[in-house]
Amino acid sequence: MGEEVKKSRPAPDPNSAKFKLGKIAADAYTDAIAAKERGELVGWCASNFPVEIPETLGLYVCYPENQAAGIAARGGGVRLCNEAESEGYSNDICAYARISLAYLKVKDAPEQNMPQPDFVLCCNNICNCMIKWYENIAIERNIPMYLIDIPYNPDYEVSDAEVEYVREQFWDVIHSLEEYTGKKWSDEKFKEVMEYSGKASRMWIEATSQAKYIPSPFNGFDLLNHMAVMVTARGKKEAGEAMEQLLKEYKENHENGTSTFRGEEKYRIMFEGIACWPWLRVTSTGLKSRGINMVTTIYADAFGFIYDDFDGMCRAYANVPNSMNLEQSRDKRIKLCKDNHVEGLLVHTNRSCKLWSGFMPEMSRQIGEACGIPVVSFDGDQADARNFSEAQYDTRVQGLMELMEANKAGKEDK
Amino acid sequence: MAVKELFAQLHEIAENPRAQLDKYLAQGKKVVAVAPIYTPEEIIHSMGIVPMGVWGADLELNEAKKYFPAFISAIVQSILECGIRGDYKGVSALVVPSLCDNLMVLGQNWKYAVPDIPYVPMSYPQNRKPAYGKKFCKASYERVINDLTIATGCKYSHPALRESIKIYNEHNAVMREFAELASEAKISAVERHDVFKSAWFMLKEEHTAIVKQINEELKNGPKADETARVYVSGVLADAPQLLKVFDDNGVKIVFDDVAAESRQYRTDCPEDFQDPIDGMAQKWANMDNCSFLYDRDKKRVGMIVEQAKAHKAQGVIVLMTKFSDTEEFDFVPIKRACEKEGIQILNIEVDRQMVNYEQASTMIQAFKEMI
Repeated sequence: MGEEVKKSRPAPDPNSAKFKLGKIAADAYTDAIAAKERGELVGWCASNFPVEIPETLGLYVCYPENQAAGIAARGGGVRLCNEAESEGYSNDICAYARISLAYLKVKDAPEQNMPQPDFVLCCNNICNCMIKWYENIAIERNIPMYLIDIPYNPDYEVSDAEVEYVREQFWDVIHSLEEYTGKKWSDEKFKEVMEYSGKASRMWIEATSQAKYIPSPFNGFDLLNHMAVMVTARGKKEAGEAMEQLLKEYKENHENGTSTFRGEEKYRIMFEGIACWPWLRVTSTGLKSRGINMVTTIYADAFGFIYDDFDGMCRAYANVPNSMNLEQSRDKRIKLCKDNHVEGLLVHTNRSCKLWSGFMPEMSRQIGEACGIPVVSFDGDQADARNFSEAQYDTRVQGLMELMEANKAGKEDK
Repeated sequence: MAVKELFAQLHEIAENPRAQLDKYLAQGKKVVAVAPIYTPEEIIHSMGIVPMGVWGADLELNEAKKYFPAFISAIVQSILECGIRGDYKGVSALVVPSLCDNLMVLGQNWKYAVPDIPYVPMSYPQNRKPAYGKKFCKASYERVINDLTIATGCKYSHPALRESIKIYNEHNAVMREFAELASEAKISAVERHDVFKSAWFMLKEEHTAIVKQINEELKNGPKADETARVYVSGVLADAPQLLKVFDDNGVKIVFDDVAAESRQYRTDCPEDFQDPIDGMAQKWANMDNCSFLYDRDKKRVGMIVEQAKAHKAQGVIVLMTKFSDTEEFDFVPIKRACEKEGIQILNIEVDRQMVNYEQASTMIQAFKEMI
């Protein structure tokens, strides 16, 4: 019997965006672990907490949502969810929170470890569940909790009263962190961080907007990986540089007629909701095998924080996707669909996310009507693998494809 | 009037909110629906409007399913279902606070599902104690006043709010006294609940007058003889069949931390502010001990243990509203604290969709044996 010949993957190009982005995401964890070992304080931070604050203060933070997604993607989600449920947490609670609260107890997950927290930075501009989750971390570890409360905005614009409320909290949290950690706020450093964050955001938005070309120069599932950097490191210099490289590559792909989407791009869809991390391959293959490219997602917009000054920053954090009313959320998605020539909307009804999914049926109806595209939803979960049915997903995606095909045929007939 | 007649009167009101709504409308009054958990009722009342609570209903969900996925609290879903069915016809607006994810999505769906009843958002600050929190709270109250003025044509004035604050503070005191008296008096779980539930459908001054009489009767009436005494926590303890399980099994509810019941009456509004809206913001700042209010220290957990002990409860029963994640997060610290203090704890999942209470009945019977 001859020796098995394995195809070896080529070594990644260290100048590629993929390599750079992967390194930044990995470094976020290794840097925090090293900091903890040196005896520095390490915090746990909500994904849409203003990173400008810990970055300017020079604090090391980890992101439990990012960790939970990583654990779930590598198959450990159910194990940790079970652990949390054995403590008494309902399985109706957000799976990220269950994984995180379980990790607090077991303190080890080979899929993605990170240091235990010395403080928590919470912001509820993505959901109110964050407050409850972080309260429980803080009480279990007996550590300080710093909350920037950004109430859900029922209006289209952010009011001046809300900006003022948010600004005052920013300063309150900054001063409290200075006192607790001994680190000092510097306006100069903030300006630098603001520039880095602005550059990363602009590059991210421009890179994701390259999907305006037909075919798209990238597979939208790439964004789900790359956005980790926008979550954890958008205030770092390297993030802006890596995003600039990503934009360059997407532009080159377009010019060269290539794409990271393998195969013919027959249909273009928008994917709505957080990824089904435990079923990433299945959800990706279900689309790719049918020639469906997910060309855009609200993530293309969600992590683009562009502003000119401190008040602008407050307003930007009060205007993230999950804190917007239905009308603004709808209009942003309609724009993404139109700009990127989307032919169908695939909605992930995510059991973990009440706020994101809670008015999705109405909003997606309105988007479908405004864009003249079919809308199909499937049931899933961002991290609890038990809440997803491969068969249902496959049927729904097939249905969406047939509707898009019928739409295409109708247009050709005209 | 004998206490049983007073209870019967409140039972009738608790069971027939539509009749109350029609009565107030016939009197030429405007009525505004107020969603869980807290809304600035004093302000609404001061504008000459009758605030009426809407906490959903035990009904089959049909139309609401077009708007909500299955994992949204049935309280919220059934509020929308009632709205779509026309149960709230005649109401001038619905005020919804921003206190949990379920409530946020209710407001957004309401605009499209029930377009003839305006949605009025109330954005509460969670960092409610610092001056900036109070300032934002005041701005939100002023927005509610503005929206209600447009929706009803009713006007706001400081003197009227001062009067309403007094009426509400008196009602709070009377309800707190009732809860204490009910701890030792011979009173069924259903009767106790009727007193709390009817408050949502009456002008507070009318409710105060009746509860005052009940309190006087309870002071001189027979004492409780149940052997099993429990403290109940949750969002709602509303289902008649479930309450009957308590009564049928001789399990007495001695005190509660139920959002629709005692949580409403813990905090008075200070009356000494020049601008009474500042007083309302101070009231919000003073509120605590609730899963829907940010609390790094989880003071609510300690409060539950202390109140259970103070009322000689042998156990704590949590009536967990399914998909109320706000409450679900707090359950674990509550459970741990009770276990540490040697207080038995039982978690019963409840839902506006429940039709069969056999399992709950078995759990309560078994719990009684344990305590």
